[in-house]
Amino acid sequence: MKRFSDLVWDVITSLKLTIACLLTLMVLVVACTIAQVYLGTWGAVEIFMYRWLVWLHLPGTDWSIPVLPGGALVFAVLLANLIAAQVRRLEWSWKKSGIWIAHLGLVLLITGGFVTSRAQRETQLAIEEGQTVNFVESPREMELALIDRTDPAYDDVYSIPALSLAGRDAVAIPGTPVVLRVRGYFRNCDLSPRQEGEGPSLATQGVGVTTTVVPQPPVSRDEEINRSAAFVEPLVAGQSMGTWLVSNGLGKDQAFSAGGRTYSILMRNLREYLPYAVTLKRFRHDVYQGTDIPLNFSSLVRIDNPSRGESRDVLIYMNQPLRYEGKTFYQASFGKNDTLSVLQVVQNPGWLMPYIACVLVVLGLLVQFGISFRRAMLAQVARDSAAEEAAKAAAPRKVWR
Amino acid sequence: MTTIGKALAWTRAHLAWVVCAFALLVAATALRTPGPVRGFDVVGFGKLPVLEGGRVKPADSIARNALLMIRGQQTFAYDPDGDGPERPRTIGADEWLLDVLFRPPVADRQPAFVINDPDVLGLMGMQQSSNRYFSFQQIGPYIEEIQKQAMAAEAKDAKQRTRFESAVLNLFQRVLLYHRLRNTVQYFDGQGLVMEVGLRGTPAGEARRAEMAQYAYFRPLLPAQGDAGWRTIAEALRGTGPVDPVLAHWARLSLGWTLQDPKNFNGALSALQVDASSLRPDLARHAEDEWLFNLAQPFYLGMVVYVLALLVLFASWLWRPEILRPVAFGFLLAGFVVHTAGLTSRIFLQGRPPVTNLYSSAVFVGWVGVLVAVILERLYRKGFGTLVAGAAGFATLLIAHHLSLDGDTMEMMRAVLDSNFWLATHVVAITVGYGGTYVAGLIAIVWIAMRLFGTADADSMKTLSRMAYGVVCFSVLFSFLGTVLGGIWADQSWGRFWGWDPKENGALLIVLWNAVILHARWGGFARDRGIMAMAVFGNVITSLSWFGVNMLGIGLHSYGFMDEAVWALLLFSLTQVAVIVAAYVRPRFWAARPTGDEPGSGRRASSPA
Repeated sequence: MKRFSDLVWDVITSLKLTIACLLTLMVLVVACTIAQVYLGTWGAVEIFMYRWLVWLHLPGTDWSIPVLPGGALVFAVLLANLIAAQVRRLEWSWKKSGIWIAHLGLVLLITGGFVTSRAQRETQLAIEEGQTVNFVESPREMELALIDRTDPAYDDVYSIPALSLAGRDAVAIPGTPVVLRVRGYFRNCDLSPRQEGEGPSLATQGVGVTTTVVPQPPVSRDEEINRSAAFVEPLVAGQSMGTWLVSNGLGKDQAFSAGGRTYSILMRNLREYLPYAVTLKRFRHDVYQGTDIPLNFSSLVRIDNPSRGESRDVLIYMNQPLRYEGKTFYQASFGKNDTLSVLQVVQNPGWLMPYIACVLVVLGLLVQFGISFRRAMLAQVARDSAAEEAAKAAAPRKVWR
Repeated sequence: MTTIGKALAWTRAHLAWVVCAFALLVAATALRTPGPVRGFDVVGFGKLPVLEGGRVKPADSIARNALLMIRGQQTFAYDPDGDGPERPRTIGADEWLLDVLFRPPVADRQPAFVINDPDVLGLMGMQQSSNRYFSFQQIGPYIEEIQKQAMAAEAKDAKQRTRFESAVLNLFQRVLLYHRLRNTVQYFDGQGLVMEVGLRGTPAGEARRAEMAQYAYFRPLLPAQGDAGWRTIAEALRGTGPVDPVLAHWARLSLGWTLQDPKNFNGALSALQVDASSLRPDLARHAEDEWLFNLAQPFYLGMVVYVLALLVLFASWLWRPEILRPVAFGFLLAGFVVHTAGLTSRIFLQGRPPVTNLYSSAVFVGWVGVLVAVILERLYRKGFGTLVAGAAGFATLLIAHHLSLDGDTMEMMRAVLDSNFWLATHVVAITVGYGGTYVAGLIAIVWIAMRLFGTADADSMKTLSRMAYGVVCFSVLFSFLGTVLGGIWADQSWGRFWGWDPKENGALLIVLWNAVILHARWGGFARDRGIMAMAVFGNVITSLSWFGVNMLGIGLHSYGFMDEAVWALLLFSLTQVAVIVAAYVRPRFWAARPTGDEPGSGRRASSPA
């Protein structure tokens, strides 16, 4: 009787497993593509590709059951299968060199995919002409920021991701004496002026007093943004500063004073501060004459990096991003009558891997098919000459060609 | 042997090439310049360079594309007086455009609009009948209602529109295009450009000019000295100073056509031609080249020759294959030469790699398919290559023709796509992959048909199977290369290598499916029949990837949204599934079960007793 480990080894190295993975992947890709119509790219990719299992929510219950392996699982199995099969089955020979190279490329490609899906951070830098900005913002994630404005010369910013408010009673803001009591958190909501007849708001201070919050399910479509909100009660040395409503849907600055310091409190897109500043000198949006077909978008920016003693101009335009300090800045969008430029900022430590992988796979396929093609052609020539011999042997007849 | 005998023998030995050369000679007659129409130099007008859609093109392109969009044809027969003394006459696109520009009252009576939708016809109180063509005059009274319905439809998402809403919006857009053409050179009441020049500076003239400025469809006035850019007639009419000489020529042109005075018209036209070729000889030459391309209609011509090749090939199965098969191959080669010439002309005219939009992808997929199949035919010489090549060439050029109904096929590239490097690498590789996958699928269909009808020897079946395997290898290489190059382009322009965008997913599906086929073969899980059935399914996957994702109307690649094609795609997929099923039924299942026939052997079934 076969040992269990042998059985596992047979399965993990089997070509049938490869085909099963490829077919499952096809099903996932089709499902993910169709789901995008309803969920948007990010929602669909999250459900079908980034997770280990695809869950189906049973209607009318709180239960979900796994219905398919997710993209992450399939790719992981495929990776294991690829490596194991290569180790077990394929011999070192020139005849198989193409397969070796192509499979090595695929291993690198899939690994690169994992690195990207886990480590890539996408942010945005929206900047108006003449403006200088030293931070990038997440387009989806929010943060709760406490800004110490006491010193008019500079602000001290303390922030925590908004998601960390969920399910917590109180959160201490690191670096400050402030503790926030969380009285309510909404990932997405509608805000409207409070009507007569509604009970009093949770908020006792600021615009929240006159605002109604209606919770909404979170959105994931590319063009939609969650309006997050929270009711928070700052406590300084145990003393309440009242309850405030904060949301990225509110424009008003709200501030309180405690212990001789003035703090602004707000919810906004999650920021990452850069050790350098970016100034937009000029944004251009050209169209073909007599049409509104865009011909060109470009942003001329100045990078000021005191830590490197660097100060230089860079032109960012279509298909020509700026790669700087591990981040890549792309021309993504524009607005405000062509005076606002939006740069997509991507940080992906694995960005080079697909480039190498692509070269390897294509090289491998070329080598392998080159070998097969040569063999097939030699066989065909042999067949042709055999046929000719046979034809000669038979009655001499003209062949129409 | 006599000289004649020798010549005959030589001809027979090189039959395919002789036929090809002969077919090309006949095809070359398509390049003959047509003569003047009733004394008017309509051809010369067609060659005038104008600016529309951000690019310089001959007026002929405006005329053909507009008529194609409005009527679905490039010419039409028109009988001006019903069944009166005059015979119906064929009106070419240029002549029609001249009427629209200069004699709107005449053009309004011509049946330029095709309307197929019964509900749209019903909106205008008309019944569906054999006559599908209507004049602007017939549509005129219902314009307000059409506009109202179209605006309501436009407010909806394209995917949510009903057939009627899409049709009425489409009609409104065509009416708008027609109205814009009427207002491009002169105010649309047909008083003539001379009138507009005369009214310059007056309140009435300004009102008319404002209307023209709003609607003008193209810019006919070449950049003046100092490169101010192309101007519309309305811009040239501004002010009360001395009349721009080019404007004066256009006014004479208008007068000449309105009064049907060939001498004046031709005189003004030659003045405009001299202006163009002295001011911007490069643009004038470009316009003339494109005019010639329009005249030759290489893709239409290629389609016809491919059909001929197919017909001769079918005949060869019944009669004298040793002569007809090379003749068919000769026609196929001729079609391929014409197809290639058309493709190359487009590359030069546009200054871009072969694939820039859905239309040109169809032309190129066909070209790759024919090329691969021609090579296969030269290698294996069994006639299968001709069959596959003819079918691929004909089908893709037919698809391209339908896609061309959307308007200009050489439109300018949006900024993010404006990269010849990536268009030449990523897009071409992906499209070559499409072409290869289709060729493999077509070979598989031939294999399945021969098995079903029991008409082939084992040797032919083996050959086909080898051909299909080779082509699948070729396709997986190019689809993979194209997909990954697309990823790299995406990394360059959006900062993510892979975004699970629908079009990317479609390309990935093709790669995965071809990989499944290859691994199934290597692992011995599928024999010839299984591989062939899978290759046919490749047709479905490629079509969904090529057109299907555009129908979802989402993602970064959703250029060219199409709704009518959904049914065609569905129907095509069903036929492919039927072929796959056919691979698994008993050969000649309709005949009584023959003795000694093994299913799937592909051997000729013995005839029923």
